[in-house]
Amino acid sequence: MTTESTVLISLRQVTKTYRKNGREFHALRDCSFDVMKNEFLVIVGPTGCGKSTLLNLMAGLDFPTSGTILLEGEPVTGPGADRGVIFQEYALLPWRSVLKNVELGFEFRKNPVSRSEREAEAMKYLDMVGLGYAVKKHPGELSGGMKRRASLAMILAIKPVILLMDGAFNALDSKTKMTMHQEITRIWETEKNTVVFVTSDLDEAVKLADRIVVLNREGSIEAVLQNELPRPRLGSAARDLDFHHRFIEFRETVMNVIKKDAGLRTCAIS
Amino acid sequence: MAKQNDTRQKNSTGLMALVADRSFYVLGVILFMIVWQIAASLKLFGADFSEAFSPLAAILALIEMIKNGELLHHALPSLRRVLVSLSLAVVVALPIGVLVGYFRRIEQLTYVVFQFMRMISPLAWMPIAIIIFGVGDVSVVFLLWLVAIWPLILNTSHGAGRVSPLWVNMAKTMGALDMGILRKVIIPAAVPDMLTGLRLAVGVSWIILVPAEMLGVSDGLGYFILDTRDRFRYDQLMATIMVIGMIGYLLDSANRWLISKFSWKI
Repeated sequence: MTTESTVLISLRQVTKTYRKNGREFHALRDCSFDVMKNEFLVIVGPTGCGKSTLLNLMAGLDFPTSGTILLEGEPVTGPGADRGVIFQEYALLPWRSVLKNVELGFEFRKNPVSRSEREAEAMKYLDMVGLGYAVKKHPGELSGGMKRRASLAMILAIKPVILLMDGAFNALDSKTKMTMHQEITRIWETEKNTVVFVTSDLDEAVKLADRIVVLNREGSIEAVLQNELPRPRLGSAARDLDFHHRFIEFRETVMNVIKKDAGLRTCAIS
Repeated sequence: MAKQNDTRQKNSTGLMALVADRSFYVLGVILFMIVWQIAASLKLFGADFSEAFSPLAAILALIEMIKNGELLHHALPSLRRVLVSLSLAVVVALPIGVLVGYFRRIEQLTYVVFQFMRMISPLAWMPIAIIIFGVGDVSVVFLLWLVAIWPLILNTSHGAGRVSPLWVNMAKTMGALDMGILRKVIIPAAVPDMLTGLRLAVGVSWIILVPAEMLGVSDGLGYFILDTRDRFRYDQLMATIMVIGMIGYLLDSANRWLISKFSWKI
C-alpha cells in the first residue's frame, strides 16, 4: 500500500511499570515497533493489556519507565499539537457550542487567528465530519455519534501529523459505528495523515488497519500483522464474496494470534 | 384557518395553565399577609403595639417613606455598601479560589485556616475594624467583605478542583500552555460554582448588613431600624423590615437568573 515508507514514530524496548499498593506491575514490556508515515496502524489486545498506556506514551501525556519513543527522530518530551488525541470518553467542553469547541485549537496558537478565519476553518472540518448542520448545538444536546464527530473535527482542526485514537468508536451502536468507519477512512485517505487506532473490536481492526499490532496480556507484542485486504473495504466492496472470504480468513489469523496468548495462560494455570 | 385557531386556543390554554400554576406563589404571599393582619387585629403582639405592627400600617408607612424620600435615602447607601464589598470580595476571592482549587499543595496549606476563618461571625471583628478603620463606611464595607469572601473562595476552589483531567489533557494535546489551560478550560469550568458562591455571598452579606449598619453609621436600612425604634415609629420599623426582605429576595432572584444563564449540562 505505502509507496515510500518513512518512519514517523519509533518505539524501542518501551517498558512501563506502575506501582499499586506497593506492588510493581508491568503495563508494557519491551515494546518495539515503528509507525510509518501515512499508515493506518491498529493496536488490538485483551482489555487491560496496556493499549491505552501505549497511546498515552506516544501522545506524551505519560513517559516510559525505560526505552525510547522517537517522533520523526526526536524524543517525545510532552504533548504537542502535532499529535491529536481522541480519547475514549469524548472531551468536548460542555459550555461551548460545537463550533466554539472546534475553534478551541486556534485559540491556543501563539499567533492569534482572526475570528472569521477561525470560524471558516472550524466549519470546514465540521462539514468534513458531516456535522455542519449542528454547529450551534452544545455537547449536552448531541448523540453519542455526533459527539465523536465533533471531537474528530476538533482534533482534525489542529492539523495533526498523526491521529491517536483510543477506543474512539466504543459504545456506539453498530450502525453509527459503521458510518464512523467510513468517515475516518475517507478522512484518512483525503487528509493523508497517520492514524494509530486502539481497539478491542477485531472486525473494526481488520476493516481499518494497514497493519495490526497485537498486544498480549503481559503487555508485550505478540505479533505485528500486515493486512493485505484491498481497499475500499467498506460499503458495497464488503459484499463481494471473495473479499468476504479473505476478510474472515484474516480475522481468523488475528484471532488465532490472540487465542495463542490466552491458551498459553490456561496451560500455565492448569 | 381552523387549524390556526386551534393552535391559538392551545397556546391560550397553555398560558392560562401557567398563570394558574404561578398564581399559587402570589396566593402564598396574600395568605401570609392575611394571617399577619388577623394576628395584629387580635392584638397578639400586645395591646399597645399590635396596630403599629400590622401589615396595613406597614404598607401605609412604606408609602409615606417612598413619598418623603426616606426609603431611597436609606436603601441606596445599603445597596452601595453591599455592592462595593461584594466587588472587592470577588476581585480577591476568585483568583485565590482558582489557585486553591487547582494546586493541591495550596489547598492543603489554606484548608484549616479558611475553614476556621469562615466560622467566625464578622461581627466579632467589629471592634478591630473600628480600631483600624474608624467608625463609618469603611468598617461596614470591611465587615461585609469579610463575610462574602469565604463562600466565594470555597465554591470557586470546588469548581476549579473538579475540572475533568480529560479536558486538561485534551487541551495539552492541542498545544495549550498553562495560561491557555487556565483561561480556556479551568476558569470557564468553574463559572457555575463561582456563581453559586456569589449567590451565597450576596445572601450572607445582606443579612450581616443590618447589624453592621447599627455600628455608628448615620444612614442605611440597618441604621433606620434603630432610628424608627427611637422615634417610636413601629409602623415604619415594620415597613423597613419588609423592604429589607424584598430587596434581599430581588438580589437572590437576580443571582438565580444569572446561574440559570451560565449553567451547562455535561
